[in-house]
Amino acid sequence: MSYLDLSISEMKKAIDEGKVTPTSLAKESFERAHKYQKDINSFVTLTEKNALNQLENLDSVEDNPLKGIPYALKDNFSTKGILSTASSNILKDYVPFFNATSVNKLYSKGAILIGKTVLDELAMGGTGTTGHTGPVKNPWDKSRLIGGSSAGSASSVAAGIVPFSIGSDTGDSIRKPAAYGGIVGYKPTYGLVSRFGLFAFASSLDHVGCFTRNVSDVAYVIDAIKGKDEKDMTSLPDDNIKFSEHLDGNVKGKKLFYLKEIVNRDNYKDSMDEELDEILNNFDEIIDKCKNLGMEVEEVDFDKEILKAIFPTYITISCAEATSNNSNLTGIPFGPRSKGKSIDEVMFNSRTEGFSELIKRRFVLGSYILQKENQEKLFLNAGRIRRIIVEKMTELFKEYDGMILPASGSIAPTFRSETIDKLSDRYLLLENHMAIGNFGGFPSITIPCGFVKNMPIGLSITSGVKKDLDVLNIAYALESTMNYKNQIAGGVNDER
Amino acid sequence: MISKELLKSYANKLMFDMNDDEYETLAKEFDVILKQMDLIGEIEEIKGVKPMTFPFELDDVEYRNDEDTRTVSYLDALSNAKDIKGREVKVPKVVD
Repeated sequence: MSYLDLSISEMKKAIDEGKVTPTSLAKESFERAHKYQKDINSFVTLTEKNALNQLENLDSVEDNPLKGIPYALKDNFSTKGILSTASSNILKDYVPFFNATSVNKLYSKGAILIGKTVLDELAMGGTGTTGHTGPVKNPWDKSRLIGGSSAGSASSVAAGIVPFSIGSDTGDSIRKPAAYGGIVGYKPTYGLVSRFGLFAFASSLDHVGCFTRNVSDVAYVIDAIKGKDEKDMTSLPDDNIKFSEHLDGNVKGKKLFYLKEIVNRDNYKDSMDEELDEILNNFDEIIDKCKNLGMEVEEVDFDKEILKAIFPTYITISCAEATSNNSNLTGIPFGPRSKGKSIDEVMFNSRTEGFSELIKRRFVLGSYILQKENQEKLFLNAGRIRRIIVEKMTELFKEYDGMILPASGSIAPTFRSETIDKLSDRYLLLENHMAIGNFGGFPSITIPCGFVKNMPIGLSITSGVKKDLDVLNIAYALESTMNYKNQIAGGVNDER
Repeated sequence: MISKELLKSYANKLMFDMNDDEYETLAKEFDVILKQMDLIGEIEEIKGVKPMTFPFELDDVEYRNDEDTRTVSYLDALSNAKDIKGREVKVPKVVD
């Protein structure tokens, strides 16, 4: 057992008691990062020189729970003077001249940046396999992916390289990889954390959040990075409530619900297998645990056809927004510039050579959606479905304190997995429901809740806008009834 | 199946191109995606609903005055450009 395996608060206590130093923690973190890099590929860049500089100046930082704690950062956050690639060839040499607001806040808290993590190119993907430096592997089983897009941020925490990391979540890009990696993934209420300096994917769905190995640590991280930011007009006013001071696990009397259509076995008769059966059994056990904690749990009906439209709605909105957001990637102000006889030709060639095939496919889809003849049928109708879903969920959250659902209907797929039928109920309902949290900006967490075939599975908990503390408290209470707190993947740390 | 020519026109409007194999893969993918998109049109309830473009109403939006608040130095702004001349980004000649 190393001090680096501890929770943030335990690690801080060990620092305060002189049992370990921030320098030795960072050193061990870098050692693990180097050691596991070949196996799991968490990082695009390791920031040793920068960390050394931070450690030299740590005395000037006011004491706080993150002082001296190592962390990793998704490579789609701007870091001044540090390569920030978004895992894309079109930004492979881009070095920002400013920090994202959340990065500045973490610097001011003295959290030590260990490295920038691999993502699906430009955060557009859910597999962690499309980054320009190669696929990220799951530390629990290297033949499996860890999911994305915040793949390296998830794998670096799951593997025990860092106790926390920062990611972004547009559809479920923090919460799904957290579930596949046996760790906690949190996406707060939209606007709670500034998006300034996060490379925009789909601005109306993008959230900044974090990965940790327990729920208390989420509270410490979000406390450090939340707050109004004049550089992000959509950031929410700070209520100055510290989540970490209000986690008491007192959930007696809280009312939860789950959506019947998502967990109804009848919907999956054709695709039922041992894996899904065990996941749904696990969910039944979770309901019992909730009740044992004194919470009520009710089944709620939701129009299945609307739920099946979540994924196409998400794809429509996100691809359309991404098409516009990424129009600045031209090779002219930054990024590799291709040859051409005119400005148009330079841009055309730079984009053709800089984007991978997958990204181009997403952009073509975005272009199709935004064609005049398709705007009403696709783009505006997707916005209408988004409103129907969000308004129904908002009504439910007036009556209930939270919604619980399995984070996924499967364990982390292998790299060779046959692609699931993308028109099946199993795919459309079970694999994509977490985008509801992005449609409405609802706070949403996944916590580890069991193992199936020796791979971790996760539980999703979501609540109404600005009810972050409810989500965290329900998660905190449930976490205490299970044995998955602070777990580190066995696949990479056999020697420990 | 959607034609390659149509897909190419969508790609070219966004100023990039793909090769023949990539267009073929994309056409197959579009087959599935268009069926998924059909799910959107099948929802009766959408009639008369105002499209949503943001997660929730912000109740504290303050319009700022039209004043300079943050500026970027030209050295910073040019720091990632591949070809610069003085204070400008150099590009191919526009007018002969």
